[in-house]
Amino acid sequence: MESNVLLETRNIIKDFPGVRALDKVSFCLNEGEVLGLVGENGAGKSTLMKIFSGAYPAGSYQGEIYLKGNRCAFKSPKDSQSAGIAIIYQELNLIPKMSAAENIFLGREPVIGKTGLIKEEELFRQTQDLLDTLDISVSADEMIENLSIGKQQMVEIAKAVSCRAKILILDEPTSALTEQEIRSLFKMIKSLGARGVSMIYISHKLDEIFEITNRVSVLRDGRTVGGKETSRMSRQELVALMVGRNIEDMYPKEKVSIGKTALEVKDFFVDHPFLTGEKVVRNVNFQVRSGEVLGIYGLMGSGRSELLNAIFGSFSADSSGEVYLEGKHVRINSPHQAIEEGIGLVTEDRKLFGLVLGMEVGENISLSCLEDISWYQVINKQKEDELIERYTRSLKIKTAGSKAIVNNLSGGNQQKVVIAKWLATNPRVLLLDEPTRGVDVAAKVEIYQLMNKLAKEGVAIVMVSSDLPEVLSMSDRLLIMHEGQAIKELDKEEATQEKVMFYATGGKE
Amino acid sequence: MSSGKKIFQSELIKKYGNLIGLITLIILTAFLTKGTFITPRNLINVLRQTSVNGILAVGMTLVILIGGIDLSVGSVVALTGIFAALFQPLGTVPAIVLTVLIGAVIGGWNGFFVTKFKIPPFIITLGMMTIARGLALVFSGGQAISGLNEKFILISESYISPTVFFSVLAFLTLIAAICFLRKMKNGQFKEGFKISPISAINAFFMLAALTLISWLVIFRGLPMGAAIFFVIAMIGIYVLRRMRFGRYVYAVGGNEEAARLSGINVKLIKFLVFTIMGVLAAVAGIVLTARLNSGVPTSGVMFELDAIASVVIGGTSLSGGHGSIGGSIIGAFIIGTLNNGMQLLNIDSFYQEIVKGAIIIGAVLLDRKK
Repeated sequence: MESNVLLETRNIIKDFPGVRALDKVSFCLNEGEVLGLVGENGAGKSTLMKIFSGAYPAGSYQGEIYLKGNRCAFKSPKDSQSAGIAIIYQELNLIPKMSAAENIFLGREPVIGKTGLIKEEELFRQTQDLLDTLDISVSADEMIENLSIGKQQMVEIAKAVSCRAKILILDEPTSALTEQEIRSLFKMIKSLGARGVSMIYISHKLDEIFEITNRVSVLRDGRTVGGKETSRMSRQELVALMVGRNIEDMYPKEKVSIGKTALEVKDFFVDHPFLTGEKVVRNVNFQVRSGEVLGIYGLMGSGRSELLNAIFGSFSADSSGEVYLEGKHVRINSPHQAIEEGIGLVTEDRKLFGLVLGMEVGENISLSCLEDISWYQVINKQKEDELIERYTRSLKIKTAGSKAIVNNLSGGNQQKVVIAKWLATNPRVLLLDEPTRGVDVAAKVEIYQLMNKLAKEGVAIVMVSSDLPEVLSMSDRLLIMHEGQAIKELDKEEATQEKVMFYATGGKE
Repeated sequence: MSSGKKIFQSELIKKYGNLIGLITLIILTAFLTKGTFITPRNLINVLRQTSVNGILAVGMTLVILIGGIDLSVGSVVALTGIFAALFQPLGTVPAIVLTVLIGAVIGGWNGFFVTKFKIPPFIITLGMMTIARGLALVFSGGQAISGLNEKFILISESYISPTVFFSVLAFLTLIAAICFLRKMKNGQFKEGFKISPISAINAFFMLAALTLISWLVIFRGLPMGAAIFFVIAMIGIYVLRRMRFGRYVYAVGGNEEAARLSGINVKLIKFLVFTIMGVLAAVAGIVLTARLNSGVPTSGVMFELDAIASVVIGGTSLSGGHGSIGGSIIGAFIIGTLNNGMQLLNIDSFYQEIVKGAIIIGAVLLDRKK
């Protein structure tokens, strides 16, 4: 057995400020196999792949990597590529305005001597031969932007093959593919396997894992928690390995009396932002009552953030369906309208969407409610200062003062500033998208306590979270999304980590 | 303690770097010109020469704050100047109103293309630069249009008398005092009245500038063009610091996506900023036309670059979200001092361009170092 191990890691440790992303990961890939790699969002899969790809260079982590028994250190993506590792990312890395041939041979074009002049004919001939042997029906001179996502992916795979990749890593390869394209991808995986290419297949879709992989390995909280031959693994067993995290005593969920329906969403559909005809949210129905916390759990690509943004009027693609606020039918086309109707959205990724990082703490807090504290256009400074003071104090935002630049605050305090901004608009419905991501434990607990307080005041809360224990503990009810659909609703009492993960990975009763 | 002092020092350089630069430049020019530069007559000249660029720099500050750029302002100055001259028979006030309206339409046109069709400001205003220049030549037949109303010329050629100037000053001081007293009554200074070192330095420089201007005013009066520039700059400062629109300008420039998600109508803000730029270009066109005593289709060449240079030297970030009109005013006076000083020294205009370019690059380099 020892002889056919191709890639092996021993005790890989990778730290980020405040978090340990990988904690002594030991992992191996055998020659010629398709290994499934599964785990929750944030389990460490991407981090591990970035170590293999050289994106995190040797030295930025501890532990050892062995390729065919030889220790190696990838200092750059180039090192990893020349060692025969290729990664197909979710977002494809092709240049849209170039042909398939130019993309495949980018940086390795056949040239005349040392002149740098490209032998065009040879380039296209070599590419066409390659595409034909791999049975990919793409013409070498076709422009990438004219190809479907599935075809583009095939071009990426052809590129990997032409680079003589021995190990191919596929990161959520089917997330943007149609059923038919998935079929041809699987055919391709099998034929590459026959050519002796070993593959790591990362996916949240367990059906695919069971169909295509020989062996499966599970990551949880930065650790390898188990793995064996796929054929000897049951779905329940796999789900149990993926979750099974301890629910610590840090969720101070309080019972509050639940009132009338505050928000109701009916027959909600959201278009895919760039694939015409495709939907990212399909026929979602739900309601939240005042004082209630509705948790929405879904893995990457389940459409949970898209759903929240579409309700808030901030999603880039069209949506259809009806939204009722306290029984009244409302039409929301912009965040401004949503705010006027009493909806707030604490967005995912505070640095990109939540804060104006170069502005002061106070200016960020008052940004969404300036209309309430202005006389026509003129901001009432005194009212603004009072408002800022009130929220800084009640949310315990640690800052050098309201004039401090928000970029200089810690992650937890930045998140509190985002929440303060939304509380200042006095929302009746508060949508929270990953409210505690990248936040330290103490600040997390404070955010939970704040959720309790808001619920007591009668605010209806919808929380999207990838953190299973969090979403289980803090919600009164749980909606589970998979591939754009709300496939299951569970009460707090009946929800367990295993059950939730079972449905979130596409399991059916 | 010493590190605190160091932070304070670097804060000082950051905040007052361009002001220190201006003062150094003034002293240097005064020496090189053997005092000619700081005679009241010449300083009044500097004020007059700076006012057109200063008005443009105020608008350009807004445009650059939202992460945009407007290359068309020089041509728009020429075009609106031609219109101001052509509208003379209608009377001075209608001519001014119509010209300003045309400026608003041109600016709005730029803003419309930027927001509706998502065309980069650089491209659309580059196009407008050529279009406006062409239109200026078409409407004027390539000739300067003279024969302006006597009253119209006063826009540039008259002076605000010391009496009026000091009355206005006294009135403003009175208002400030009333505001201060009301704040005190509301108990805002319960914990004692504290002056931060920064606001003390600010107050000092403001007072120094005011003293200098008062001296010039006693000598001759305040040139009308400069008065228009100062009023526009003060309104601009107030809008950016105290009004919602100003706050939204910073937010849109700082993080457009976060601004949109905070309920700000990003497109409207951008559209308005370009429209305001158009209006200010028209005002500059009117002042310039009055000063030249004719509408000149080839005037205003490279004015956009002087305005951009003033804004950049003034410390406004070209990527948007950070900066102030106060900085741009200082930038405008640096450019004005350079132009005037080199003229006094009889430096060949070819070399003037080289020196100006070098100073712009130097200012940005210094800004990077912070």
